[in-house]
Amino acid sequence: MDEKRAVEIRTRNLGVTFKDNQGRDVLALTNVNLEIYKGEFIALLGPSGCGKTTLLRCVADLQQPTEGDLHIQGMTPKEVRLQKKFGFVFQQPVLFDWRTVKKNVELPLEIMGYTKKERSELADEMLEMVGLKDFAKHYPKQLSGGMQQRANIARALGLKPDILLMDEPFSALDEFTKEKLHEDLLRIWRETNKTILFVTHSIQESVFLSDRVCVLSPHPGRLSAVVDIDLPRPRSLDMRDEPHFNELVAKVRNSFEGGSV
Amino acid sequence: MVAGSKRTPENVLPHLHQIIQAVFSGKKVSGDMTAIGLVLSSAGLTLFRALLGFVVGAVSGFILALLMKLSGFVEKLLFPYLMLIQLIPVLGLAPIILSVTGDINVSRVVIAGILSFYPVATNTLSGFKAVEKDKYDLMFVYASKPRELYTKVLIPSSLPYFFTGLKIAAPMAVTASILVDTLQGDGGLGCILSQSLKHAMSIYVFWIIVFVSALIGILSSKVIGWIEIGVSPWKRTGKRSRKVRT
Amino acid sequence: MAAVKKKIGRPKPLRQRIGENKSWQKASAIVLPLALGLLIVLIWQTELLHSWLDTDTFTLPLMDKIGSIMYDNSDKIWANAVDTLKVAGIGLAAGSLLGYLVAIFAALLPRLGQGSLYVIGAFASIPVVAMAPVLNNWTKDVSSDAAVRSMVSKILVVTLICAADMGLNAYRGLTEIKLYSEDMMSIYAAKKRVVLWKLRIPNSIPYVFTALKVSVPASIMTAIVSEYFAEKITGVGRQIRENIVLAQYSTAWAYIATACVIGILAYVLLMAAQTILLKRYH
Repeated sequence: MDEKRAVEIRTRNLGVTFKDNQGRDVLALTNVNLEIYKGEFIALLGPSGCGKTTLLRCVADLQQPTEGDLHIQGMTPKEVRLQKKFGFVFQQPVLFDWRTVKKNVELPLEIMGYTKKERSELADEMLEMVGLKDFAKHYPKQLSGGMQQRANIARALGLKPDILLMDEPFSALDEFTKEKLHEDLLRIWRETNKTILFVTHSIQESVFLSDRVCVLSPHPGRLSAVVDIDLPRPRSLDMRDEPHFNELVAKVRNSFEGGSV
Repeated sequence: MVAGSKRTPENVLPHLHQIIQAVFSGKKVSGDMTAIGLVLSSAGLTLFRALLGFVVGAVSGFILALLMKLSGFVEKLLFPYLMLIQLIPVLGLAPIILSVTGDINVSRVVIAGILSFYPVATNTLSGFKAVEKDKYDLMFVYASKPRELYTKVLIPSSLPYFFTGLKIAAPMAVTASILVDTLQGDGGLGCILSQSLKHAMSIYVFWIIVFVSALIGILSSKVIGWIEIGVSPWKRTGKRSRKVRT
Repeated sequence: MAAVKKKIGRPKPLRQRIGENKSWQKASAIVLPLALGLLIVLIWQTELLHSWLDTDTFTLPLMDKIGSIMYDNSDKIWANAVDTLKVAGIGLAAGSLLGYLVAIFAALLPRLGQGSLYVIGAFASIPVVAMAPVLNNWTKDVSSDAAVRSMVSKILVVTLICAADMGLNAYRGLTEIKLYSEDMMSIYAAKKRVVLWKLRIPNSIPYVFTALKVSVPASIMTAIVSEYFAEKITGVGRQIRENIVLAQYSTAWAYIATACVIGILAYVLLMAAQTILLKRYH
């Protein structure tokens, strides 16, 4: 990694504790120290309960840290959120049934107060990017799961956010759709040069997509390793057959604390 | 059963063809009105009166649900009463509401209003509550204003539930209107129903009313369904067009 | 494990947590409605309500007056309440049973059965006001005793109204079955009868309660309205009307209060039954 690159997100001793149903304290995340550079593709990898989603939600200001601090471009998550610099892609495509695909993509632009013309142009551009140009007038229910998730990504990109937060966006999709979307996502990332935080529980996916894999372990949720992925870019699907890819996968797998997961 | 009866068969259950005949018969049953003319004009009157109560009830039901969603205070204050009002046999209170208000039209609006009010209020409220957490999170990440959360997410999401409430409410408002008609003789289906039962006019009028009122009951909720499809284009596309694949 | 993570990852929004005091939150759900209730009593008793509605204490008696009349006439009111409850209860039971049987029929033989679901649905859409006189006529020959035949007629009205509600809900419960569970039964080559007993009927229990939540209040309302048209002058609903005709408004109000109490008690009983039964089921 180039040490001179600007730090986009910095966490110091970040921890989150909250109460479960019985009112007991649960340590969801503890002592996370991480620096994420501008334009970097970061994968947050770990099994269920490791706090990877909690970490993402802290960045998005959806969750308040109980310990330590988190700064984005030197600001608090709330300040960054109010400046509308985030794009967020949920695991489920959170599309609104009563809006057409294009209107769904326009939603954040409406909130930002863009004019009708600007909204329409931006939405067309984003739909073109995700390959949904011909389906602009369709309603979400008419689309397949993969297309719904593309629309979801188009919506997150519409605002041209600095930071794209993705919470297991492809985990509900079949393998073929997923591979297609992996290539699309890498292309979009290359074209737009955003900082991406990508939560996943798939080791292969994290290695294939990211610059660095942040490995989180559960009980309590903590950052147990950061693995540099030095695969060349642009990446293609056949790279996954190369020995180096498999070495990296093995390296990531072995970096989980407490042995096998 | 009909054959064994000692009473006139027209009272018990006339043949369907007799009723149909009565529908098309030109015989005047009251003044210069034919049976079907009388029933239809009364039905129009009843429907019009029901509509007023229905609209008042539906609008106030929606507003109450919105207020309950906006303010936890209002919700806590009124929720038990919203439940209670369903358990009170409002239709049975028609005579006393007439006595208290002293005006038949006001009591009709009140009764049809109360009956329409609670299905709309409870259904709309559950519509607001059924909005997924992810949608709130999405609006939060985009730092939307609270007003936008309502106009862009909550109110559109609650629309199908609102219409479900309307579909329940519409036949109830019609029934309420007919019942109130029977209390005082100023026209309407219920009024001529009582008259024809007392043999003040042809008994066939009664049978026509039974069919017409059932039809109005069914149609009233169908019409709401059509309106719903009309205002929600995304529902139209569901079945007809095939799902497209990647 | 996944479920735990979701709960952990998605706490309440901040605004809900700020200034949130748990014990007050719980107490306010009881305290606030109670305060409103007291306010209503106060407005009623101070005749403020009467001046708003432009009415008098003769038409809208004070609460203590209604209470004392209920107390003085408790025997008569009780007898009428029992009559109404019989009509509502028997009608509800018969209607729900009929509806459920039609639903089973429709679930097993969709072609024939769905038609019968439509038929009971059509019956239920006839307004009570029109249905009651029809059934009065039909039941004239049931008995020479006016009390018996008018009771039968009223019960039939309630039966028809409740049957549709149960029929449609139970049909959904018998057919909207969890994905794959029907496939699983057919893999084991289960007979239709076994699928019905082991899968469909247990699955329909929550739907039965959904139906009852509507039909319990509806049965009471229907019983009361059908009393208006019945031959024999009896029941809470009829007494409301008769007493208004006689301008005995306080007595009419005593019966109204009784009707409300019946409605609320019936619902409380239903809720208790649901809590006990569904706890065992799920």
